[in-house]
Amino acid sequence: MEDEGFKLVGVRGPSLTSFAPEDDSAHKETKRRPVSKAGLWLKRKRMEKRPVFSFLLLLTIILCCLGCELFMPKDPLYMDLANYDRRPDGEFWFGTDAMGRDLFSMIWYGGRVSLLIGFAATAVSTLIAVVFGAVSGLAPRWADALLMRLTEILLSVPNLLLVVLLQAVLGQANVWSLSFVIGVTGWVSIAKVVRTEVRQIRGSEYVIASKCMGAGFFHVLFNHLAPNFFSAIMFMVVMNVRSAIISESTLSFMGIGLPLEVISWGSMLALADKALLSGSWWMIVFPGLFLIVTLVCITNIGSALK
Amino acid sequence: MNFRERERRMDRKNPFLFYGGKVLGFIISMVVLSFAVFSIARLAPGDPLVSYYGERAEKMTPDERALAERRLGLEEPVHVQYIRWAGSALQGDFGISYKYKMDVTEVIGGRIGNTLLLGGIGFVLIFVLALLLGILCAWYEGGLPDKIICKIGTVTSCIPEFWLSLMLILIFAVYLHVLPSSGAYTVGGKGDVGDRILHLALPMTVVVTGHLWYYAFMIRNKIVEELRADYVLLARAKGLNKRRIMFGQCLRNVMPSYLSIMAISVPHIMGGTYIIETVFSYPGIGTLSYESARFKDYNLLMVLCMISGGVVILCNMAAQTINERIDFRIRPEEKSGSKFPDS
Repeated sequence: MEDEGFKLVGVRGPSLTSFAPEDDSAHKETKRRPVSKAGLWLKRKRMEKRPVFSFLLLLTIILCCLGCELFMPKDPLYMDLANYDRRPDGEFWFGTDAMGRDLFSMIWYGGRVSLLIGFAATAVSTLIAVVFGAVSGLAPRWADALLMRLTEILLSVPNLLLVVLLQAVLGQANVWSLSFVIGVTGWVSIAKVVRTEVRQIRGSEYVIASKCMGAGFFHVLFNHLAPNFFSAIMFMVVMNVRSAIISESTLSFMGIGLPLEVISWGSMLALADKALLSGSWWMIVFPGLFLIVTLVCITNIGSALK
Repeated sequence: MNFRERERRMDRKNPFLFYGGKVLGFIISMVVLSFAVFSIARLAPGDPLVSYYGERAEKMTPDERALAERRLGLEEPVHVQYIRWAGSALQGDFGISYKYKMDVTEVIGGRIGNTLLLGGIGFVLIFVLALLLGILCAWYEGGLPDKIICKIGTVTSCIPEFWLSLMLILIFAVYLHVLPSSGAYTVGGKGDVGDRILHLALPMTVVVTGHLWYYAFMIRNKIVEELRADYVLLARAKGLNKRRIMFGQCLRNVMPSYLSIMAISVPHIMGGTYIIETVFSYPGIGTLSYESARFKDYNLLMVLCMISGGVVILCNMAAQTINERIDFRIRPEEKSGSKFPDS
């Protein structure tokens, strides 16, 4: 309650700006009205370099994955042993894999898991990074130096080995444990940025005032610090989704991620060595293409946020 | 702030203190790293006896197991094991690999050359090509070549390394039969240089394309940023042409930060090499560390982690030193900031 006043002063949140007159932009628009509205919109979009196309494409992929039951021609889990290793044709649009599953259905169905892991792992690493970075940024200098050294050491263990070891601790991988492992191994670079940002704003009046009033660490973090460094880490968070999806597919492909029965873009590629032997290109090409298109979209959105 | 600033200046004047501090930091980091890996590896469930005895380990009686564990020193608490390991490691004895039944140093010695070949040449290629591509893009900034290269680059940087490896194997080994799909040399042809190159071609392509664009884009942006600086305007006013400005002045200013970025890039390229080695079954330390982590080959795993960890820490220090000592223009907020976003 008593924090309200300081919030108004300190955080550039909506509470302050909502009082400011916003008709400035509207005023400009009225001046340019002669040009058609759609044309203006398109032009402005292009000027701002908003990745509209990537965004729409990614949205389509996500929606199609979520609603895949509506249009999937086959059951992605059903192993049709009479039709294994089939070339793409009218019945199996993308062919079937070595276990007789329909690739077209599997791609949409498996996309759910891949995207879910991408987002879940990012949530885990962002949370760790924000807390760790803030602790390090608010800590006295010696503790800060110690924590930063710690991250350096953590970085120096090859990620692949760290994941293998963590997986061994957690036992048989499932979607959540894999997200956790990927998240736990991928937070360091965000934490560094959070730390730098926090160090810059920790001396601000509103932070000190809030602390003087007895605000706890998490209150200060989420009400005063987070809104300020949010924009700085946004790009990295989006890129983290990308690298989490890549990690998932790489790990599942190598056989240390998801098991074959849990369909994802990575575990679909785990049968790739068999596909190489039989020369079945469709088993490798299609899941990979979907993976790459998704990743390119995410990258474009990320770099626009920079 | 002042104190630290003075401290740093003092360090700079006294090279002994400066490098002594670095060496001390390195040693402490290595000790912490080795203890961390040691304990994580041992806390993880899984049976190291399997990698030593193979299938037989599952058929052992409890007594035999206990005996075997005592022989390998596995029954004691972790910190006792660690101290014993560290003691003998300091004397140069890293123990034997459970799987290969050879000295760990011997196992690694046989493989590390292959990795150095792949990673080293890959690194040099990335270094040179990224520079060239970056300059090319900056030269035509905003023009057609720049746009095309940027688009292609973004896409290539999104391709997972393992998938690119699979595609290359599919095209060049399965369909065209021109390049071998795995290994470092044909059996018996270890000394044949041509054979080595053929085997290196595919993994090397993946190593380079996987990382190239990230650094090329960075260089491009740095140069473009430099081209907007005031001194360029001055140089242009003096009548220098574009080539002289770019190569004589901008590039010289960009080089220190590029060097430090490339120093930090070593671990990333190394991590990528590990995955690529596994896909191509290339006999380097990447496949070795993957195997040792999966099959609990403790002694081998420790040394491999120490090697890669040491390289990473050294590279970070090199980058820091470059920033602190060579590039004096570097701004303080940049020094602590996000030089290296996207991991």
